[in-house]
Amino acid sequence: MIRSSKDQGIDTATQTAWHEEFEAAARRPLAVRMRYAFIKTYRPVLDDATYRSFDTMEDYRRWCEENLPDWLGYARV
Amino acid sequence: MRAFEYKQAEEIREAFARHGVRYLFIGKSGAILLGFPDTTQDADIFVEKSIENGRALVDALADLGFEVSPEQAVEIERGKDFIQIKNGPFDLDLIFAPDGIERFEDAWRRRVEVEGFPVCHPDDIIASKEAAHRQKDVESLPRLRSFRDYWLSRH
Repeated sequence: MIRSSKDQGIDTATQTAWHEEFEAAARRPLAVRMRYAFIKTYRPVLDDATYRSFDTMEDYRRWCEENLPDWLGYARV
Repeated sequence: MRAFEYKQAEEIREAFARHGVRYLFIGKSGAILLGFPDTTQDADIFVEKSIENGRALVDALADLGFEVSPEQAVEIERGKDFIQIKNGPFDLDLIFAPDGIERFEDAWRRRVEVEGFPVCHPDDIIASKEAAHRQKDVESLPRLRSFRDYWLSRH
């Protein structure tokens, strides 16, 4: 069961700002939304191979934790 | 490498349809298709795990211009849980067993169609990120949950 955003303790001003962003995005065509959303920057290690495969998601998560810089945010918390 | 674009999403949609690949956009790329205003680098595709679907996927990737070696084709057909492929016109993450989603069929039943793109329901995208529980997921989840409530109020 996915909990409602109301249970997250987010202040009203933030919720209102997010809501306005969602409304603004909804007015843009999908192609424009995608142009704003997809970016490309170099990620050390992660972008250094053209192909990787993992038997299990656990293997992949562990590989990320052992090989990627922490600041990329791929480690589990 | 350029950023993923709408035109490339269209190419995926057409090539996958031509070969009968069963897939769903998932992750933040899926949320963006649903209207979530945020940024991401990769297109994440949740692919049904079956030999037939894997074969169709290999053919579709070749059509799209990916260089898939025979060894890689075997891995894709077999459906390893996670495959990262960057030797084509854009980067793709192929996910055969995303965290937090039991069966492809369940997610397929709940899917949302956006301009012909099959996309995981926001609840499945959130469930997957909650189960993965990476730092970047934890940071994005509050806003994503808020978007989910906004999206549900309009659908």
